Amino acid sequence: MKPRHWLRLPPLLLVVAAMAVWAVPGSAAVMAPPAHRLTAAAARATPSCDPTASLRPAGPPQVTPGSFMAKVRARGYLIAGVDQSTYHFGYLNPLDGKIEGFDIDMVRAVAAAIFGNPDKIEFKAISDAQRIPGIQSGAIDIVAHTMTINCARLQQVDFSTVYYAAGQRVLVEANSLVKGIADLGGKKVCATTGSTSIANIKAALSHPVPVAVPFWTDCLVLLQQGDVAAISTDDSILAGLAGQDPWTKIVGPRFSFEPYGLAISKQHPDFVRFVNAVLQRIRADGQWAASYARWVGTPVPAPPPARYKD
Amino acid sequence: MTAVGDPPRPAPAARPALGQFVRATTTPAKLRLLLVGLVSLCLIWGGVAAWVVSQRASGANDVVGTSEPLSLDGQQIYRALSDADATAASAFLSGGLEPLAARRRYQADIAQAAAHLESATAAAGHSPAARNLATLSAGLPVYTGEVETARADNRLGLPLGAAYLREASGLMRGTLLPAARDVSAQANGQLSVASGRATGLPLALVLLVAAAAVGYVLYRAQRWLFSRTHRILSPGLVVASVAAVVSLLWLVIAVGVARADLLQARAHGSAPVAALAQADIAALRAHADESLTLIDAGGDDSFQADFKAVQHQLGPGSGTLLTGAVTAARGSPGAGSAAAAATTATAWYAAHRTVRFLDDNGKHTQAVRLAATPGPGHSGTLFARLDSSLTGAIAAEQVVFRSSAVAGRDAFTGLEAGVIVLSLIMAVGCARGLSRRLAEYR
Repeated sequence: MKPRHWLRLPPLLLVVAAMAVWAVPGSAAVMAPPAHRLTAAAARATPSCDPTASLRPAGPPQVTPGSFMAKVRARGYLIAGVDQSTYHFGYLNPLDGKIEGFDIDMVRAVAAAIFGNPDKIEFKAISDAQRIPGIQSGAIDIVAHTMTINCARLQQVDFSTVYYAAGQRVLVEANSLVKGIADLGGKKVCATTGSTSIANIKAALSHPVPVAVPFWTDCLVLLQQGDVAAISTDDSILAGLAGQDPWTKIVGPRFSFEPYGLAISKQHPDFVRFVNAVLQRIRADGQWAASYARWVGTPVPAPPPARYKD
Repeated sequence: MTAVGDPPRPAPAARPALGQFVRATTTPAKLRLLLVGLVSLCLIWGGVAAWVVSQRASGANDVVGTSEPLSLDGQQIYRALSDADATAASAFLSGGLEPLAARRRYQADIAQAAAHLESATAAAGHSPAARNLATLSAGLPVYTGEVETARADNRLGLPLGAAYLREASGLMRGTLLPAARDVSAQANGQLSVASGRATGLPLALVLLVAAAAVGYVLYRAQRWLFSRTHRILSPGLVVASVAAVVSLLWLVIAVGVARADLLQARAHGSAPVAALAQADIAALRAHADESLTLIDAGGDDSFQADFKAVQHQLGPGSGTLLTGAVTAARGSPGAGSAAAAATTATAWYAAHRTVRFLDDNGKHTQAVRLAATPGPGHSGTLFARLDSSLTGAIAAEQVVFRSSAVAGRDAFTGLEAGVIVLSLIMAVGCARGLSRRLAEYR
């Protein structure tokens, strides 16, 4: 029997009918609209202040009765808001499932001072956008999250003294001729959406083309695939990216200043003083330098000096 | 067609002037007119019946030979890719030492997708699905490359691995799965059209009207002959009438049986398969979301939001995919598995809430263990049970579909040739019967 197709519908009708039948919901593209690391752009337009001056500690760290530290000790663990994907500062080590990094060492020192045990911490992985609300609501005791201290944020939360002084630089592939942000005119440069880094790239005099992605590691994927010419952000984060790909290098001078602090609620000035005392101790006893050597590398510079406003 | 039995003597009387022929005032002239009319009618009947049968048979053939395999391919590609997405994410979650079973499953998914992609491309020809199939063929190697890079980085303990996995999953969900969904939809559309051609009522009505007309004319012709010649039976006309009845019975039975089989294939085969497959694919997506949320761990909750959205669509509950699938499968062999899937889904959501609670409260390792390792009440185990209930139900329904559709197609075997031969017998019978009578007027 010969098949005859006189009655076939036109293909377009077929497709339309088929789609009506099979419209599976919820399969749109997936990459999340992101919120990211580093400072909010809004930070720039705020009353001037001295961002790096914090509350002076009252002697060595001590858990005084009735203090916030005493409450934390009674609870049994410190609640820390951290990053889980910034290599060498706060990241989840897939080999042992533990959160590690320079930021993490800072909170571990705080836990050690409260409990005598650096492991008494409940880590909460949070996004940049969750840092300030987490502190303000009281859900999180302390944030250690490559967080730049600035005047806008100081109106919402308190910060410890500076525990790391970062600045924005440029990461390129090892064979690149680029020597800094000035050489990137018209070229694609990657940073995370909403970061101060992306704003700085846009503002650079050489007019690079900013490319925004959700995560810093996404930038490295783009660099490895040749989709961008460079990544530009805090040198601390760049070092973490370079640590994952030996065929990259950090170049050029710093063109911004990003002092990192531990964020704490404005309700707990006693805790801010306590944390500053802890930082003062680890600056002096070599713990800070050991963490720096482990996570950032050698030579180890002098720790950023503590500045106080009393 | 000139198969009219030779009128014994086509002499003078048989060649009257045209006007006289048409006016047909004398009995022989009327007989001649009747002869020509009946023979033509029989031949027209044969033509119409054969055409209708060929339409239906080619529809049934398309269902079994082209549309169904293509629709199956499309659905398998869609499912295999969804499964690869979920399995890659869940294996990644286990760290550098991914479970062998997960690795094998991922590889089997990719192999299956590639194999079905090839056969679908061959079957699709220049149909609208071809372009989507080309997208899939081009994107699949890129996807697997990204997954392998993610594995390599993960094995080195680098967070970069998670970024490659996200990139791979983004490609899968943004480009490959939509293309696979479209292929599946296009193939299902083609299947509906083919099935409609094989079961539609209008053509069957054409056939019945034609049959009624032929039967009526044959009956009136014999009445008229009887009134003119007072002979009750003309063997030729009797043969023609018997042939007409036989062809009508054959047609009615074959078309009726085929229609019942093909409708059965649809109701208890392809419709439940499509509903179950949609539910399964949604479940796989939610499973991938669960893993990706745990992998991401950057406080980014977009995958968890997607999980919630998919859970809402999946159900169970009125208007959801799972409840739809259970309804579609009611009374079919897959009904039991489909109902079990709906129950398991609820338990899975509860386990998922536990995973999220643990992860949100600093117990990432425990959350991962619950999601990625087997154990009673573990999210991963409950998902596996949900998935196997759904795939079991799909397999059961596919068997029904296949056997019913093949039975439907086979009902048409020999029918087209049969009605043509029978209509020729009718035509010869009429010609012989009437030419006998005509001869008596010589």
